[in-house]
Amino acid sequence: MRLTVNRQPHDVDAPPSATLLSVLRDRLHLTGAKLVCGRGECGACTVLLDGEPAYACLTLAAACEGSEVTTIEGIGTAESLHPLQRAFVAEDALQCGYCTPGQILAALALLAREPRPDEAAIRRGMSGNLCRCGTYPKIVRAVQAAAAEMAESP
Amino acid sequence: MTSGHGDGRAKRETTGTQMRGAVPDFDSAPAASDPPRRFRSTRVEVEGREEVKVVEVPAFDPVPWDDDADLAIVGRRAERADALEKVTGRARYTTDVQRPGMLHAAILRAPVPRGRLATLDLLPALAMPGVRDAIARADIPAIEVNGFPLLDGVVRHAGQPVAVVVADTPGQARAALAAVQVTYVPEPHAVTAAQALADGAPRVRGEHGNRTRRAPRAARRGDVAKGLAEADVVVEREYRMPCVLHTALEPHGAVAEWTGDQLTVWESTQGIFATRSDLAEGLSLALTNVRVVKDYMGGGFGAKNGASTNAFLAALLARRTGRPVSCINDREGEQTDTGNRAAAVSRVTLGATRDGRLTAIRAETTIALGIDGWEASPGKIYHQLYACPNVETRDTFVWTNTGAMSSFRAPGHVEGAFGLECAMDALARELGLGPLELRRRNHVERDEEKRRDYTGKRLLDCYRLGAERFGWEGRDARREAGDARLRRGFGVASQIWGAGGGPPAYALVRLNPDGTADVLTGSQDLGTGTRTVLAQVAAEALGARLDAVRVVLGDTERTPYTANSWGSMTVPSVAPAVRMAAEDARAQLFEAAAGLLDAEPGALSAREGEISAPNGRVVRIAEVMARLGEVMIVGRGTRGPNPDGHSIASFGAQFAEVEVDVETGRIRVLRIVAAHDSGRILNPTLAESQVEGGIIQGLGYALFEERVLDERLGMPLNPTMHDYKIPVVGDVPRIETEFVGAADALANHTGAKGLGEPPIIPTAPAIANAVADALGVEMTELPMTPWRVRSALSG
Repeated sequence: MRLTVNRQPHDVDAPPSATLLSVLRDRLHLTGAKLVCGRGECGACTVLLDGEPAYACLTLAAACEGSEVTTIEGIGTAESLHPLQRAFVAEDALQCGYCTPGQILAALALLAREPRPDEAAIRRGMSGNLCRCGTYPKIVRAVQAAAAEMAESP
Repeated sequence: MTSGHGDGRAKRETTGTQMRGAVPDFDSAPAASDPPRRFRSTRVEVEGREEVKVVEVPAFDPVPWDDDADLAIVGRRAERADALEKVTGRARYTTDVQRPGMLHAAILRAPVPRGRLATLDLLPALAMPGVRDAIARADIPAIEVNGFPLLDGVVRHAGQPVAVVVADTPGQARAALAAVQVTYVPEPHAVTAAQALADGAPRVRGEHGNRTRRAPRAARRGDVAKGLAEADVVVEREYRMPCVLHTALEPHGAVAEWTGDQLTVWESTQGIFATRSDLAEGLSLALTNVRVVKDYMGGGFGAKNGASTNAFLAALLARRTGRPVSCINDREGEQTDTGNRAAAVSRVTLGATRDGRLTAIRAETTIALGIDGWEASPGKIYHQLYACPNVETRDTFVWTNTGAMSSFRAPGHVEGAFGLECAMDALARELGLGPLELRRRNHVERDEEKRRDYTGKRLLDCYRLGAERFGWEGRDARREAGDARLRRGFGVASQIWGAGGGPPAYALVRLNPDGTADVLTGSQDLGTGTRTVLAQVAAEALGARLDAVRVVLGDTERTPYTANSWGSMTVPSVAPAVRMAAEDARAQLFEAAAGLLDAEPGALSAREGEISAPNGRVVRIAEVMARLGEVMIVGRGTRGPNPDGHSIASFGAQFAEVEVDVETGRIRVLRIVAAHDSGRILNPTLAESQVEGGIIQGLGYALFEERVLDERLGMPLNPTMHDYKIPVVGDVPRIETEFVGAADALANHTGAKGLGEPPIIPTAPAIANAVADALGVEMTELPMTPWRVRSALSG
């Protein structure tokens, strides 16, 4: 199958039952998205499919042919961070960092839908992404900060 | 590996200082005429228990950083050193380790709580696509995990591993598990303490009626009967605390690879050296032949303190197949077989005089440990938190057919604090005193349990700062924000936790020819910020710029020994060693710089990468190092002994505001103010993150989290993240943190104490006390689900 991941085409030899998450992690070595529950309960595997958030653990890779897949590795680099990545660093919106890629992609999708969400909208929009270290208060602040920055320089 | 009867952890805790053969005596006091000893003993509190450890006395003592110390980098809100790796997805966790030719293992787990394997046939699994090997008990040497043989054919809890399949892909390994032909002979089980202590209960473990060998563990001071006779008011309550699961997002897992006789294991662990010694012992290897690596880890919270089942299985399968093997738990395995905070029931009696002085404290607690674990005492905090001449606690630890207990963020104290702090509020209501006033009246300056002074105790400052920030005195005005249905309430609870750390801990600071510095220490960063704060300490002590310092952790081959990251010990144990190593390097650097600056080495000072002499001349560290060429400066630091005759602890108080819907029983926590004394705060931003994280886990303990068992079938019913509820962002209240922040320079020369565990201790009782305040009805069972609130309201 042919997948477009972070704007790069990849020809992947994977069985039809392969999940998008297993293809990303095990075949394309993009390990930012994490396998935590495998059942769409935690959001750690969140990626964007044509800009919409998707649980990569519940998505078949074969169903993504023809779509744009975006992972954490595709939204910014260490030299040129996405405003959300910058805000997560500045607000210390991470501890162990295991859920962070999923949190950032969920936030990216939220801001695409709703560029200036209030706190209640952020809490609603981010409630599908679990964090066991308890970084939630700072995640809310980071999303607010990034939204403000992105609104200023779209 | 670990011995039985709950002693497994005790053994691990002495790793690195354990002696074989004749034990030299480090305890006897040296005579005044003796030369100074390089090795002696000191007392260290580990997870609530005091131990004697051998310590290397440091070659020199850095001047303690007291409150007057002029520090520029320590105390700064520096960005997390590894944040960039984490926001870009580049951080490599154990689950992300990919080695050439690596195979993937999947574990078959028993679906019965007790019984034995009747038949087991691995051949059908071996015939499945991609499968390379499959093993059961008969295929491996005797290795003990949780006190019993790995892959034992005797099943002692649901979820126990019985066989493992390894295949080219994780999917193939999982599919092959279904092909294993296995049957069990179930036997009667006991999954609760009540079942295990009932007449005719099946023998879960041991020789003492399913109790641990020394149960009940009793501790006493004074005479409680006399204290109760002197009391004007007595309250008696029963509190029920659930079994809760760590639920780290990264599951337990390991990757193993052999190069000849050399084993490398990547493991998600809080203790690389403990893991190394566990593996060496279990696999009969020399320590030098085992390397354990842990770079990033996705949470531990106490459950990852030695070699996991996964590490042993990965190592065994890698040796059999000649290929690297990754063995990562799936979520159900993680939620059933990797540890928990044990369920406990406490009967608490408090007696006090009319003016609110405690005369007696008694707590009797029964704890359902599971099939293994250690005796983390819920009783201990009853001896520590308040002034009271008469205290008696009895902890009865019970073996049950459930997954083993393991340390979980302030083990014992979290369970104990719920009973004690809720009972204190019940007492306050009986006495007609305010809850905070009752706590102040029973404040104790000294450690009454051990009859000695604390190195520092600023709990009264915590009460004052927290109450001011919270608006405690004006809370009745805010009560009116509620109505007949949505009731407002306010609560407070306090905490103590032995967070003094101690030896052994080692660090090396290497200066490179370009002036950058590598800090090497065998600690771990669990997400706590260890890398960041150690870099701050090293930069401060060296006089370097923070961005010139890199901290290397988590690799037994690259770093000197440091103990597990547990017991809120990392900062107070490792930061002093790092500081000393940096000062040792700085002294050598000054000797090299002295000639360049035409000054005495002892007269130089360094800050932000520049060395200054009294004559006004300045040279950059990088320039000195460049002049030295390939000559290397290596500073060495060790953690010295703890101060004799003192106890070291962190303190804190939390204030909660809640809203309870009396129709639905739903509790919303609106606000928590936390005020903590953990000595000097090395990085306020990271410290606030720690406090918020502890409070949010405490919120889960208060409101949502509970491992649910079917007692008849003996099976866990909610081993998924959907059914085992941890807090989500929408559950989180406004959290405000205050630090007393004064240096505790007597505790260690950095003045910092531990903070990882303290914030979770008072959260649940503060919330429960607020709920009782809102409803006029006490909540005595956790979690406080809507159903339980409604039941309490309908009496």
